[in-house]
Amino acid sequence: MFQYVIRRSLLIVPTLWAVVTVVFFLIRIVPGGPAVAALGTYASEEQIRALEHQMGLDRPIMVQYVTFLADLCRGNMGKSLITQRPVVKEIAQALPYTIDLTVAGMVLGILMGVPIGIFTALRRNEMPDYFGRVGSLIGISMPEFYLGILLMYVFAVKLDLFPVIGGGDLRDWGSRLYHLVLPAFTLGIIMTAFISRMTRSSMLNVIVEDYVRTARAKGVTERMVIYKHALRNALIPTTTVIGLYAGILMGGSVLTEIVYSRPGLGKMMVFAVKDRDYMTLQMVIVIFSAAVFLLNLLTDLLYSLIDPRIEYR
Amino acid sequence: MKLRYVTVFAMVFLLVGVMLSASADAREQVVRVALKASDIRSIDPDYGTTTIDYACIDPMFNALVRFKPGDIDPEKIQPDLAEGWNVSPDGLVWTFYLRKGVKFHKGYGELTAEDVKFSLEKAANKDTSGFAKDFDALGKVEVIDKYTVRLTFKEKVPSVLGLLTDYHGGFIVSKKAVEEMGLEKFKTNPIGTGPFMVHEYVPKQKLVEVRHDGYFRGRPLLDRVEFWFMPDASSREMAFRKGEIDICEGEREQAWVDKMGKVPGTVIDIFGPGETLTLHFNTSKKPLDDIRVRKALAYAISREELMDFLGKDVTEPLVSPIPTSYLGGTTEVPLYTYDAEKAKTFLKQAGLEKGFTLKEVITEMSDYRRPMEQIQEQLRRIGVKVQMDVIAHSAYHGQIRKDVNPIVLYVCARFPTADPILRQFYHSKSIVLTPTAITNFSHYDKIDNLIEQASRETQTEKQKALWAKAQRSILEDAVAYPLCITKFVFARKDYVDLGYEMKSTLTLVDTIKWNTRILEE
Amino acid sequence: MAQAIRKGLILYTFRRNKTSIVGAVMAALIVSLAILAPWISPYNPIEQKVKLQYFPPSLAHLCGTDGYGRDEFSRILWGARVSLVVGIASVLFSMVFGIPLGVIAGYKGGRADSVVSRFNDVFMSFPIVIFGLLILAIMGPGLFKIILAIGVALTPRIARLTRGSTLSLKEMPYIEAARAVGQSDTKIIILHVLPNIFGDILVMGTLWIATAIIVEASLSFIGLGVRPPTPSWGSMIRAGLDQLTNAPWLSMFPGLAIFLTVFSFNLIADGLRDIADPKLRG
Repeated sequence: MFQYVIRRSLLIVPTLWAVVTVVFFLIRIVPGGPAVAALGTYASEEQIRALEHQMGLDRPIMVQYVTFLADLCRGNMGKSLITQRPVVKEIAQALPYTIDLTVAGMVLGILMGVPIGIFTALRRNEMPDYFGRVGSLIGISMPEFYLGILLMYVFAVKLDLFPVIGGGDLRDWGSRLYHLVLPAFTLGIIMTAFISRMTRSSMLNVIVEDYVRTARAKGVTERMVIYKHALRNALIPTTTVIGLYAGILMGGSVLTEIVYSRPGLGKMMVFAVKDRDYMTLQMVIVIFSAAVFLLNLLTDLLYSLIDPRIEYR
Repeated sequence: MKLRYVTVFAMVFLLVGVMLSASADAREQVVRVALKASDIRSIDPDYGTTTIDYACIDPMFNALVRFKPGDIDPEKIQPDLAEGWNVSPDGLVWTFYLRKGVKFHKGYGELTAEDVKFSLEKAANKDTSGFAKDFDALGKVEVIDKYTVRLTFKEKVPSVLGLLTDYHGGFIVSKKAVEEMGLEKFKTNPIGTGPFMVHEYVPKQKLVEVRHDGYFRGRPLLDRVEFWFMPDASSREMAFRKGEIDICEGEREQAWVDKMGKVPGTVIDIFGPGETLTLHFNTSKKPLDDIRVRKALAYAISREELMDFLGKDVTEPLVSPIPTSYLGGTTEVPLYTYDAEKAKTFLKQAGLEKGFTLKEVITEMSDYRRPMEQIQEQLRRIGVKVQMDVIAHSAYHGQIRKDVNPIVLYVCARFPTADPILRQFYHSKSIVLTPTAITNFSHYDKIDNLIEQASRETQTEKQKALWAKAQRSILEDAVAYPLCITKFVFARKDYVDLGYEMKSTLTLVDTIKWNTRILEE
Repeated sequence: MAQAIRKGLILYTFRRNKTSIVGAVMAALIVSLAILAPWISPYNPIEQKVKLQYFPPSLAHLCGTDGYGRDEFSRILWGARVSLVVGIASVLFSMVFGIPLGVIAGYKGGRADSVVSRFNDVFMSFPIVIFGLLILAIMGPGLFKIILAIGVALTPRIARLTRGSTLSLKEMPYIEAARAVGQSDTKIIILHVLPNIFGDILVMGTLWIATAIIVEASLSFIGLGVRPPTPSWGSMIRAGLDQLTNAPWLSMFPGLAIFLTVFSFNLIADGLRDIADPKLRG
C-alpha cells in the first residue's frame, strides 16, 4: 500500500509538467500582449516594445520555455507581468481566501449532505425523500453564480445581515468569518445537493445487501445496523465524493469569488486571463490542477482506509 | 437619604455613559474611496497614466504650481511649491522661487532646488518617465541657490505653467528617496511633499495613505485615506449603500445617477471636464477609405439619441474633436446632423446600398462598451452590421494601436487646449504602427501644417483661428465623428466635506486635498 | 435480440416513470420555445429603444426591459437557442471523440488504456469552467468556439465514463462467447458493446447537457460568451447584476430560465437512471 501511495504521488510530477506545458504554449498563442496591459492605456509604442524586451517576450518561444522551466525548478515562479511583483507572493496572498472558501464549502456540503442523504435513503419513497430529492435536484440545477446573487440580494442587500464585498482582513478572524458566511453557503448548498444524492444512492445500494439482513437477523437493533454497517459502507462512495466533486468545487469557487468579489485565486485567474498576465495565469492554473489531483489522491487513500477489502497492486 | 445618593450616582453614570457613547459614535477621520479599476499601474507620478493612478498620486505630491482645486481653468493656476516666478522677455527663461521649509514624507528632509531639478529631469527622460515627450522643448534646469531654480526652454511652449502644474510630469519627488531606493521600489513607495503618504499597498485590493503631519499648508484634517480597487459596478454600489465606502466612482449612465441619488445621505458629484467620446474612422481599411461611406456613417449616427441613451445628466454635446471648454474649441464645423436618408444616399453612391459588415473589437469597460452597443444598433438600421468582440480593456488598447479596428471609439481627456488632441490624434507623426505612433487611428495626415503653425503662434486669436481651421478640416474629410462629452460621476456621503467646490478636475476623480474631512454628526 | 428487449424495456419504464415524464415535457416545451423563438417572440431582441430603459415587468413587456430598452422576454426566448445549441452540440462533440476513446481503452486495455487514462488525468484535472475560460481567452468569442471549448473539456469525462461502462461489460458471458466464436474485436465492439452501453450513454448525455448549459452560462457570465448583441442567459445575468437594486428582474428571469432548463434535463436523467443501470452513479 505504501508503495502504491508513493507511486501515485510521483505521478503528480509528470501530470503537473504536462499541465504547465499545455498552459504555457496555449497562452502564448494569444494576441494582444501583456506589455500593453502593464503600461496602461496612454503608453506609447516605444514604451510597449521596451517593456516587452524587458520581460523577455521577444525571445524565441522555446528559449522562453526552457528558461521558465529552469526558473520553476529553482522555485522561482516569475513575476506577474502586470504588477511586476513575484507571483509567489501574490498567490500566497490570495490562497487563504480560496482555501477558506473551498474547505468551508466542502465541509458544509458534507455536514449537510450526508445526513440528508442517509435520511432520504431510509425514508425512501416517502414524503421526506420526495422533498429531499426535489431539493437536491434544484441544487444541482442552479448555477453557482445565480445562487450567489440570490443569497447576496436577500441577505446582504435587503436584510443587511452580511457584508457584500471582499474577503475581510485575514488577520482578524471575526472579519474573516463574517465575509465567509454567504460565499461558503453558496458553494455549500450546491455541494450539499450533489453529496446528498450520492450518499442516498450509495445508502440504497447498501441497505439491500445481504449482510445487513444478516445483521438484522442476528438481532442487532436497527440503529446499530445503520450506524455500524451500512454507514461504513456508504462512506466509501462518500469519500469518493471529495475527489469526484473536486472539479465542481474548484469551478464553483471561481464563480463564487467573482460574484462576491473575494480576492482569492479564482478571481486572480479570471483577471489574469483578461489582462494576459501569462505568468500568474500559468501558476494559478497549475495550483488548481494540483489541488484537484491531490484531492483525488486523498480520496483514494481514504477509500483504502475505510474498506479493507480494497487491495492495491 | 440613601436614595438621593443613588439617584445622583445613577445620573452621573448615565451622563458619563452618554458622553462616552457619543464620542465613540464620532466618525473616524478616514475616507474610503472606491475606484473603478482592478489595480494601480504605478504611483510613481511620472508613470501614473490611469484614473486610479491620478487619484492615488494627487494627494501625495505637489508641483511648482497647481490648478485651483476643483477648477481646471488654466487662467486660475496658482503657486504651489513655488511662491513666485520671473519670466524673461523672450519667454524662454523661467526662474522659480521655492517655498522654504517644505518637508518630504518619512523624514526625507526639506525640499530644495536640487529636488526640483532632479524631478524635472526625471520627467523629461524617456527612460524614467512616460511623459518625456511633453518636455521636448525643455533645454536645461539649473540650481541657482537652495530655493531658486531656473528653467531654460529651447523654443516657445504653449503653456509653461500648464507643463509644470500638478498633472502628468510636473510633480516633484524626493531626489534622495529615488537615489536610495531605486526606481523599482519607488514605483510602489514614492516620496513626495503632499498631505498624504503611502502606508500600505495590498495588490488588487487597496492602497492606504496616511496623514503627513509636516505638510506645508497645515496638518491634514484626515488621518487616513483608503483607495479600494473595485472594478465591479455592483460591488461598488453595494459597498457604498452599506456605508463600507464613503466615496465611490460611478457609472456614467442616467440610471446610476437616479438610483444612487435616492440613497439617503448621498451627494452626487457630476463634474467636468469630462471625457470626449469620438469615433475615429480608419481610412486605411475598406470601405472606409471612401469618403462617401464615412459620410454615410456620420449621417446615420444620432448624437441626440446617444446622449438620451447615456443620460441627460451625464452628457454634454460635442460636435468638434476639441470641446468648447478647451482653449481653441469651436462649434463652427460641419455637423452631420442625423439624417437617415442622406446616409442611405451616400451608401448608394458608394455602391454599398446593401450594407456591409465591420469587424470590431471593443473593451468590456462600460464607458466604451455601452456607447458602442448603441452605435452598433444605430448603424444596423442603415444596413451596416457591426460584429463586436468584447475583450479586456488593456487588450483593447493594445489592439487598436495595432490598427485592428475599422472604427475606433476613443474616450479621453487631455490638458484643456486644442494642441494635445490635434497632435496625438490627427498629426501624421502619430499614426499608429509608425515608430512615433501615438493615437492617430484614422491615419489622417492633412493638417500637419496647421497644427505646427498653431503651436508656434504667439497671438491667441490667430492661434484659435488656425485650430478652428484644423477642426473644420477633420470634419469636412469625415475622418472622425465626435459623439458627446461624458462627465465624471461620483457618489459621496454627505458627511464627506471635500474642502473645495468641485467643478472640474484633470484628476478625473473626487480628489482628496489636505482640508478634506469627515463632518461630525 | 438482447438489445431490442433492453431498449424496449427502457422506453416502457420511461413512460411509466413520473420524474422522467415531467422532465421530458418541460424540456420539450423549452426546446420548442427556443425553436419557435423567431416567430413567437413579441419584439426584436436586439432592437434598442432609448425611451424604454429599465421598465419593470408589465403586460407589454412580460419580463421588463433592459438598459438598452430591449424586451427581456424576447431576449430570454432567443437566449434559449444559444444555451440549448451549445449544450447539445458540445455534448455531441465530446461523444464523437470521447466514446470511441473510452470504448477502446476499456475494451482493449493495456497500452491503449494507459495512454487514454493518462491523457484523461491531465485534462480532467482542469475543472470544466476553468478549461473553457482558458480556451475562450485564447480563441476569442463566438458560438463555435464555445461549443469547441466545452466539447473538448467534456471529452475526457465522457471517455472515462464510457471506459467504466465498457469495463463492467467486458466480463459478460455473451462477449466471451462472441470472442470464443472468433468474432473480430471491431465487430464485437460495434455489435455487442455499443448497443449495451447505449443506456448508460443516454443518461450520461442528458446529465452532461445539463452541465454544459450551466458552463455556457458561467462562461458568458464571466464575459467570455457570444458576441453582443446576441442574447445569452449568462451575460444577461451579468448585466443585470449591476442593476440589482434598481432592476432586479434583469438577473432573476434569465437565472430562472437557466434553472428550469437544467432542472428539466436533470429530471430526465434521473428518471432514465432509475430505469437503466442501477450500477451507474453520478
